[in-house]
Amino acid sequence: METILNVLFSGVFHASTLFLVAAGLQVVFGVQKVFNLACGTFYALGAYFGITVVKLLVDHGFPKPLFIAPLIAAGLLLGLIVGPVIERGLMKFVYDRDETFQLLLTFGIVMMLEDVIKFIWGTSPQSMGGIDLMYGQLNVLGATVPVYNLIVILCSLIIAGLIGYLLLNTKFGRIIRATADNREMSEALGINMKVVYIKVFTLGTVLGTLGGALVIPAGAAVSEMGVELIVLAFAVVVIGGLGSMKGAFIGALVVGVLKSIAISTYPELEMLTVYIIVIAVLVIKPEGLFGGSRV
Amino acid sequence: MEKTRREFVKLVGGAAVGAGMLLAGRGKAGAQAKPVKGVPSEPVMIGAMPGLSGVIAVPGTAAWRTTQMWVEEVNAAGGILGRKIELSMEEETTAKDCVERFRKLTLEKKCDVIVGLMSTGNGLAVGPLAEELGQLWLAWDATTQKGVEETMPKTKFSFKSTDNEAEAIGGAILTAKFFPNIKTVVGINNDYSYGRDCWDAYQAVLKNFNPNVKFVDALWPKLGETDFTSHIAALKRANADLIMTSFWSGDVPILMKQATAAGLFKRSKACFTTGGGAHYTLKKEFTPEGIILGYNSFYFRWTDTWPLLKKFVNAYYTKYKEYPVYECDHAYFVLQAYKEAVEKCYQILGRWPTKEEIGKVLSGIQVPSLSGFRGYREDNIMSCNFFMGLTSHKNPYDFVTISEMEVLTPVQIMKPFASAKLYDWIKGWKS
Repeated sequence: METILNVLFSGVFHASTLFLVAAGLQVVFGVQKVFNLACGTFYALGAYFGITVVKLLVDHGFPKPLFIAPLIAAGLLLGLIVGPVIERGLMKFVYDRDETFQLLLTFGIVMMLEDVIKFIWGTSPQSMGGIDLMYGQLNVLGATVPVYNLIVILCSLIIAGLIGYLLLNTKFGRIIRATADNREMSEALGINMKVVYIKVFTLGTVLGTLGGALVIPAGAAVSEMGVELIVLAFAVVVIGGLGSMKGAFIGALVVGVLKSIAISTYPELEMLTVYIIVIAVLVIKPEGLFGGSRV
Repeated sequence: MEKTRREFVKLVGGAAVGAGMLLAGRGKAGAQAKPVKGVPSEPVMIGAMPGLSGVIAVPGTAAWRTTQMWVEEVNAAGGILGRKIELSMEEETTAKDCVERFRKLTLEKKCDVIVGLMSTGNGLAVGPLAEELGQLWLAWDATTQKGVEETMPKTKFSFKSTDNEAEAIGGAILTAKFFPNIKTVVGINNDYSYGRDCWDAYQAVLKNFNPNVKFVDALWPKLGETDFTSHIAALKRANADLIMTSFWSGDVPILMKQATAAGLFKRSKACFTTGGGAHYTLKKEFTPEGIILGYNSFYFRWTDTWPLLKKFVNAYYTKYKEYPVYECDHAYFVLQAYKEAVEKCYQILGRWPTKEEIGKVLSGIQVPSLSGFRGYREDNIMSCNFFMGLTSHKNPYDFVTISEMEVLTPVQIMKPFASAKLYDWIKGWKS
């Protein structure tokens, strides 16, 4: 039981960060039809920025146990700044161009932002020390789970709930869904596409930066961390269905838990297991588990 | 004869101009080295190939910084035999790119020597090319056992780094020493040649000392993995007495942190054979005392009695606000060895030596480096001490250092010559 719970908790923890990045990928693709490779790098940026903000505040006497509040604020703020800048500065030029241009541009952004990270924070790993350890551990039926990991899982669930609410119960959500379904019709009905695109891209960016900021107290930031995650986010998207938020949620859970089980049982097959599922989905249900339902 | 006023003014003026010219000349001589007979006047070109991105960015940046510091210092002292040094840098990326860049440094930039490279895949591609081009290449790392045995058994121009499994061998020796009663071991190593070779070597050596030890599981996260929560669940399931890892870069603090958060070290002891590669990231808050930690071949607190080390650590910290890692001494040593080999050749030949002549002197050379005397064996493999010990919080820093430091000599942890078979050599030990 202890082993099963350990494996399950670690899988869900991994899934919770994967979900945030994959959700950012999905929302941008769903509306703007751009496969944003840079969402993993936004995650890395959020991690570095979160460390800087929390360290700065703690050094100036901010109470350590409350670090999660400025951490979330840092992730949000960064996304709100970076998102519109990249959307207006770069993305808008490729919306009507071939997908290859879009991929190349977002790949270029990955490379540029990695260099920005190295320029600002250097190449050494950055961490917040043991700040997350102050929350201690929880014993769940014999399994020892770091409380901070549970907080991250909870935050991801809340974010997933908020996104669901935003998409289903708000005017902006209806506009997003309408645009995802039929851009021309939405535009004909008077929706300002420029504003929608800025907002949607910013939402995707915020999900990435917030994910990075949230997870970093439990690890350390390295410049290539975004690239590592984006590869798995692809698997999530394929399994869940491109453009589907529900798919991102389920896909992340499948990948996270499956990876965790594989590592505990057949570690040599860690990635093989994930990609067997990816291939199976591509063969049996190419649109993904929730591919029919857009955003 | 009495001088006229006009003649006196001319004399004094001339003397003043002459003295001024002399002083100016002296000043100039201080800034520029005196020409040495038989030595070309143009600068020595040193090519450097550091890895500045991805997982090798931490040691690569450290090595590149050290290279620049060394060049600044040597240039300030007059260069090599009066020749100033110029650096030409090409980044280490993929094997294909490294081959092209190595060729460029040799043929276009006309480099006298090329230093650098850390990935074995890149080293194995560049080594044969160095031999073909007749270009001196002094590696920082990039030379695991199997690759070297198969691809570069004998070289004239390629000078290889230490056997990469040395720290795993040292880790196993210290495991047997510090934790003689352990019965089970689980490994977590990166899924590439270095990680696999280290795990194999560690098992072979520990079995030599402790035949009853069982290796219960082995985990193989990808190089560059940044979340080990699932691996930690698997390590818990293995429930072993000791966890062995050869992580050496940004993954070290992540594993340490997540393992501590999950309470892994309450049950298991640990051996981080190469964790000192990112030692300043191992904060006391999440790194327990009593873990075996290897610093590879350079420990910044090795001794107070080696002025070279003290001076370098101070200069490095002042400049970069970080404490240096092992790759610094790989970088320092190869440059110092090159310089001394050139100077030795000059003493014999009375002219600037050819690359082949420098290579001959480099084989078997010993020079003072940051971690004591280092050298190249006759088979062109670097030979140096390794530093390991148990993590300790008793220091003025916010990160751990080591107590009960062991200086492991090449005789203990490196097979005696390149063509020797590693596992035959280990089997031949008397434990």
